[in-house]
Amino acid sequence: MALDFDPAIIGKIFEETDPVAVSAQEIKDFCAAVGETNPWYTDEEAARKGPYGELVAPPLFALTFRNGRHFFQNIPRFGKGGFDAGRDVEFINPVRAGDQITLVSHVKEIYEKTGRSGAMYFVTVRSTVKNQKNEVVAHIDHRFMGRL
Amino acid sequence: MHSLEDVQIGDNIGPEPLFLSKDRVRAYCNAAGLAGVPRFTDDELARKEGLPGMITPGNMSAALVGKLVTDWAQPMNGRLVRLGTTYRSPVLPEHHLTLQGFVTQVDHGERTAELDIWIENEDGDRLVTATATVKFPPKA
Repeated sequence: MALDFDPAIIGKIFEETDPVAVSAQEIKDFCAAVGETNPWYTDEEAARKGPYGELVAPPLFALTFRNGRHFFQNIPRFGKGGFDAGRDVEFINPVRAGDQITLVSHVKEIYEKTGRSGAMYFVTVRSTVKNQKNEVVAHIDHRFMGRL
Repeated sequence: MHSLEDVQIGDNIGPEPLFLSKDRVRAYCNAAGLAGVPRFTDDELARKEGLPGMITPGNMSAALVGKLVTDWAQPMNGRLVRLGTTYRSPVLPEHHLTLQGFVTQVDHGERTAELDIWIENEDGDRLVTATATVKFPPKA
């Protein structure tokens, strides 16, 4: 069975969120919640000797920016239900306190695969996280899957 | 371990015990803009969605896996440059979990190491599996 979707959806940018300001407190709260004690993310002086040269947010902070309401509306749905299968994240630049972050998203790929338990669909949506200098912070591939 | 030269294929990372209380999961949700998502914060509302109770957000699992990697890499000045996670089963709070992994590849030319990391439960089931790439500074 072929998946029924408009191929024009692939690659078309459907979302650019409004900029969100990052505060030092938000980074501290994130560190506390994940038990972060790494000096690159918690100690100004030690961070200066690290590879970023200053205090930055832990890399996985890049996943905390919310997608806008267009995100889920633009993920094609097939079959019944479906679930969050995982993430593939490329970390390019760190987030710093005071940054203004935007997310730009598009559907990267849609395919189906038949395994032992039957036909499954896979949808990957890529969000590019950028800062106010238009530098890429991270590329986040969100993988969704479900039964056809 | 001071540099990539000290890293060998098969080196263990962890294991580290991981116990996520419901309050800690809620603290992550507050810090990550997920406070309004009932399946991560409220048992009863999560059950109405067909889940066994509130579950840990996938991004929190990814953050904990990422932290294991950055804790390992920091003394060697290595940076996490890629992380891929696969969510195999929901991670439930209030369980005695283990976070661990090992080195699968070392590339001295590219100055990178590849890692396999996972979160397992008391029964040894791997709930979240991940691969990561760490980039090291040039040889001194």
